[in-house]
Amino acid sequence: MGSMDNTAKRLLQRLVRRIPSQMLKTTLDKWSRLTAAQRQSMDYTESKWALTEKLLAICEENELTVKHIAELEMIHVIENPNLGMWYVFQLMDPQDDAHSVELTQFKEQFKSHLSELIRHVSIKIKKHTDEAVWIRIAWGDTFSRPNHLKPTYVVHYLQTPYVFLTSPTSKQKPLLSQALVLSTRYQAIKDANLSGRKLTAIRDLLMKQYLQVFPTKFPSPLAERNCVVSNLHIEKEQAGSAANRHQMACEAFGDGILPQLQSAVYKLETKFRDHTNKTMTERDEPFKCVVKFASTNLLESLRHSASSGVASTPVTPLLSSVPLKGKNYFVITDNGPGPSSQMKPSQK
Amino acid sequence: MAATQNLSDSDQSSVSDQSVSSRSGNRSIRVAEKERRKNEAEDPFVLSLKYFSDVEAGTPFHGNDKLEKNLVQVEKVAYSQGLPPEAVSIMLEFAMSLRMGTSACVRVLKCLIPASVVPQEAVVRAVVWLSIGKMPISTQVLFIKWVLTVFDMIDAKDQLRAIYGFIFNFVTDENLCPFICHLLYLLTRKESVRVFRVRKLLELQSKLGRQPFLLHLLSLYKVFCPELVTLSIPSRMKSGFKNHISPWKSALIAVQKRNGLQGAFSNSLVFTHKDKTNPRKRKHCHLEFPDLIPALNKEARSEQSSSRRVVPLVQLHSFAQLLENMHRIELPAQMGSLLGSSLALQYLDCVQDESALLRLNFWLGYAFHEEFLFCGDGGPSQTSEEALQFLNKLLSAQHFLQEGFSSSEVFLYKFLNVWDGSLLRPQILGLLSNIPVVPSSQIRRLLFEPLMQLFFTSSLFFKCGLMECLNNMLLKWLTWHSIYALEDDLDISLNSHTSINMTLSGFKDSVMELIHFVGRLASVGLQLEGCHCLLLSFVLDFYETVCDTFLKYGLPLIVMPPAGVFYPALFATDPVSVDRLAYIMHRYKVNLTSAKSQEKVTEQVFHISRQTFREFNHYVVVMVNCLWNSRMFHPGMGVQLGEELLLKSNVSQYGSSFDLVHHPAFMSYAVNFHQKCWPGKKDMDLNSIKHSKPWSWYLEYLFTQGYDGLKHFVQSNISWQLKEDDGQGDAQQR
Amino acid sequence: MSLLKPFSKLPGLNTANILLVESEEQFQQSLADALVEETSVTVNVRLAKSLPLPMENDESRPRIDLVVFIINLTSELSFQSAEASLKYLDPGYFLGKVCFMVTNARNASSPAERLDAVRKLASSLHCPLLFAEDQTPDGVASATERLLTILKVAAGLVPIATALYVSNLTRCTLPLDIDLPSFD
Repeated sequence: MGSMDNTAKRLLQRLVRRIPSQMLKTTLDKWSRLTAAQRQSMDYTESKWALTEKLLAICEENELTVKHIAELEMIHVIENPNLGMWYVFQLMDPQDDAHSVELTQFKEQFKSHLSELIRHVSIKIKKHTDEAVWIRIAWGDTFSRPNHLKPTYVVHYLQTPYVFLTSPTSKQKPLLSQALVLSTRYQAIKDANLSGRKLTAIRDLLMKQYLQVFPTKFPSPLAERNCVVSNLHIEKEQAGSAANRHQMACEAFGDGILPQLQSAVYKLETKFRDHTNKTMTERDEPFKCVVKFASTNLLESLRHSASSGVASTPVTPLLSSVPLKGKNYFVITDNGPGPSSQMKPSQK
Repeated sequence: MAATQNLSDSDQSSVSDQSVSSRSGNRSIRVAEKERRKNEAEDPFVLSLKYFSDVEAGTPFHGNDKLEKNLVQVEKVAYSQGLPPEAVSIMLEFAMSLRMGTSACVRVLKCLIPASVVPQEAVVRAVVWLSIGKMPISTQVLFIKWVLTVFDMIDAKDQLRAIYGFIFNFVTDENLCPFICHLLYLLTRKESVRVFRVRKLLELQSKLGRQPFLLHLLSLYKVFCPELVTLSIPSRMKSGFKNHISPWKSALIAVQKRNGLQGAFSNSLVFTHKDKTNPRKRKHCHLEFPDLIPALNKEARSEQSSSRRVVPLVQLHSFAQLLENMHRIELPAQMGSLLGSSLALQYLDCVQDESALLRLNFWLGYAFHEEFLFCGDGGPSQTSEEALQFLNKLLSAQHFLQEGFSSSEVFLYKFLNVWDGSLLRPQILGLLSNIPVVPSSQIRRLLFEPLMQLFFTSSLFFKCGLMECLNNMLLKWLTWHSIYALEDDLDISLNSHTSINMTLSGFKDSVMELIHFVGRLASVGLQLEGCHCLLLSFVLDFYETVCDTFLKYGLPLIVMPPAGVFYPALFATDPVSVDRLAYIMHRYKVNLTSAKSQEKVTEQVFHISRQTFREFNHYVVVMVNCLWNSRMFHPGMGVQLGEELLLKSNVSQYGSSFDLVHHPAFMSYAVNFHQKCWPGKKDMDLNSIKHSKPWSWYLEYLFTQGYDGLKHFVQSNISWQLKEDDGQGDAQQR
Repeated sequence: MSLLKPFSKLPGLNTANILLVESEEQFQQSLADALVEETSVTVNVRLAKSLPLPMENDESRPRIDLVVFIINLTSELSFQSAEASLKYLDPGYFLGKVCFMVTNARNASSPAERLDAVRKLASSLHCPLLFAEDQTPDGVASATERLLTILKVAAGLVPIATALYVSNLTRCTLPLDIDLPSFD
């Protein structure tokens, strides 16, 4: 047996399978663990199966270990931040020196804090070009070595209160939270109730990186432009209300291209209100149900349904809260603050 | 080396050269043979196969390095070039016998990528293993999915069909049922449909609900034996059979691609189109006609076909071969492929194989339904080119067979109700003109109502197109009648394949309905389009067919055009329309006279109503009075205006304003004639043409311009002698 | 609420005015763009999401010769909106000056029941029901052509043809339950 143990082999196999053929070459080039000759010898037209065999042989030859393979994985994940599910956490109550935390300090602190909390852990930290710090954590526990097949990725933009995570388990979350809070010089961290498949999208949403529209009393230049373009013989009877709806939809959700969210979930725990159905209305305990909106681009869908009149305008705070509060998971209760977010049911 | 030795002995060189080359040739063959044998013996793949055929039951799976090595070897071959038929047999046998347990079985099934064909025997054996029942259900499902995926690569289906009942037994298993239904669907023939099977399926349906896979199988049963399945099948049915190819898809495509590159070895390549890898899609969804694909590869075929005694259609290349093998033809798995081959169409035509037509109609019905009436998302635009080719090919097949398919008829009745009048218009109208005679009791709601709504809301070009289509439809109906009508019996079978029997009077009713319907469309259409001459021309085309129904097609039925068609044609501004009207009236006369004389001679029951004669006479009087006698507004004519009103119009000689001289269509000829006749005359007096001599010259002149219709009309309706002063004859009426 | 009336205003010379009502406001725009291309008559197009029309446009609005309700069969809302709008039309319009245009009739996701309901609605009002392929340029061109055919009659631009006369020929009929076999 060479340097490649079973885990390393499986990790590599899985990775090759996951990376699309046309991206395999660039990813491997970035990895810089293969010699130029080795890279030359790869024939990317071959099947994934053959490529994996070949790579395994090369890795053996170069005596690469699971850590090196993990590097390759990290390269792939950083290059493709829009795969997999990302969850957002928000840091709270910054200490005075929170704004002066810089990368090396953060790196050191995070590593030492986390290793203190758990013995078997493998941490890799990389700074990406856009100021993001990427952390890959392979977890073990007291008795087992870090499991590189189920790593957690953490992305943090220094000096912002947001942390993006993939697949944290309930066991690891407290450990991770503690390490994060300590190394960023904050005092607490909470679930921000936002998740999505595209890291860039949820980041843009939180950091308001999209065209926002603010209420104005003056007619928008957009409407005037439309009048000029349209034909003399075509007249929109309800142009005014349409423009109005569009304006309100844009105020609620923003203009132009919006961050791609995939879903919004509303967990309702409210009293059942329907005067035709007495038995349900008279029940004391709240009626529980979950409403989920799903779309390839939820915000654009919502904006479109508001501007086309499918959803009523002004937009109900239930919907406009998604971009406004940067959340896509809501719990709605009748009274008292809910466990994660409380909101009055809107008048329909 | 041999060559250099021989150089020393020059005079023998040529001889020895030869011998050497032949000797070395022999040697190389021997060497190659030996090499091959040696290779074969040492080929790790062959060794691995040997391992799998010999390995004993109960050998452990986990931690068995030998097995691992051999399995990897087989997988490598399978994923790179596919498994040859023998290897498929061995591996399938190994897997299904569960000699090394389920995990080995699953792993083997997943790598069973055939390179060319799958031997039928192997599948049959595997099905037998299935019933031993030691296998977990998920593995059983995996196996059936595999069979469905490679179904068209199985080299023959006869033995599989022989165990139809055996396979049918598996439907009772809830988990297997969807897949077994799909397999049965592919294997079903008319003789497989039995009462007890129908009952079983219905029983299952009441247990499982109206599952699409059951419905699909039942609807196929219904196609074969409508008397056994009374269940009504919903017309809008989601496609029932899912695509099971996923575990093998990428590997199959890869193997297929690679084999495609190595041309020499790929003569048995089955997967030629990428959508062919999906059985369900190919069956119902894709309009691309599959090529006739031989189920067997070449070598396998020669030895097997003699024993099985069936000949796939694709092997036949000439009509003579078709005749020789007529009794043992194996229809392709995909009936749609029949449409693309003229030999197959010939087969369909002369064999009158009911089950072939049934299957073809079933396939077509699905294709129509899924592509045109029940489109998935993604827009209709994506398939339009494909749809166009599909319909064109279908049209040419129908043209070849000279009749429409019943599924296309049913489709049209539905499609007309949602048609925008423009989508694939030429093709749809082409299909429409091919439909067989519709009983007069249904013709209204099935055809006339949707067509009328389309006609009056559509453009001139649609109107013309529909006119042409209805003319073709009438022509086909009349042709069928003239071919199939039996002299002594009034019963005529209208369609050689379907058993629509219609009495002569029923047929006459339908034809009459059609002619009256077109008359209505034409009258109002001409009015709405301002008597557009293009539309008028199509309308006159139709009446050219109608006026000759008796003489040309032997149908004792004569229907006159309505006034809404007659007058626009008579007063048309182009001479061609007037001439064609004259020709049509001439043919009416010939038909009517011949019908009358035949009535007298044979005393046949058929009878043309007085009303028809009256209408005809009326029209002739109007035409003669108008064109010839200059008695345009005489009392008793079709067009009547008050005397005062006519005087008020300040048109002098209003009576003659539509005679052959003053008719707007012929005025230019009159002027031309006038100039030629009296070249010196300064002031033109067209009335001078009406004198006896010039009138006859003028008529000659018109006839030489190609107005044969007028010529016939004048000759058959007007007895006309030259008189000295007034040269006009009188209408001769019957 | 004010009713839209067919004869409350004088017609313009060689002019035809059409009102396209569509709750989704998608297809109407492309139809409008194609309709105004007509050269033989001046076509004015008014677009609305639903009826009633806003009062403030009453003055500027010409006499509407034809009202077209566009219904997307995949959407129940589209149908309901058209149905609700009908009551803001003067009964005079139903003498040949209203038609329905349906899109997505061949789509798998439009239930057969909805098509039946539209058919029932159109036939009960004696209006023509047109089907359109809104996805393709050819389909839009054809739909435009057909609307123009009806519009010209409704605006009185075709000699000796009246809207009532033609609508009598083109109005939707309710097919008696066609018990066609599914595909055999």
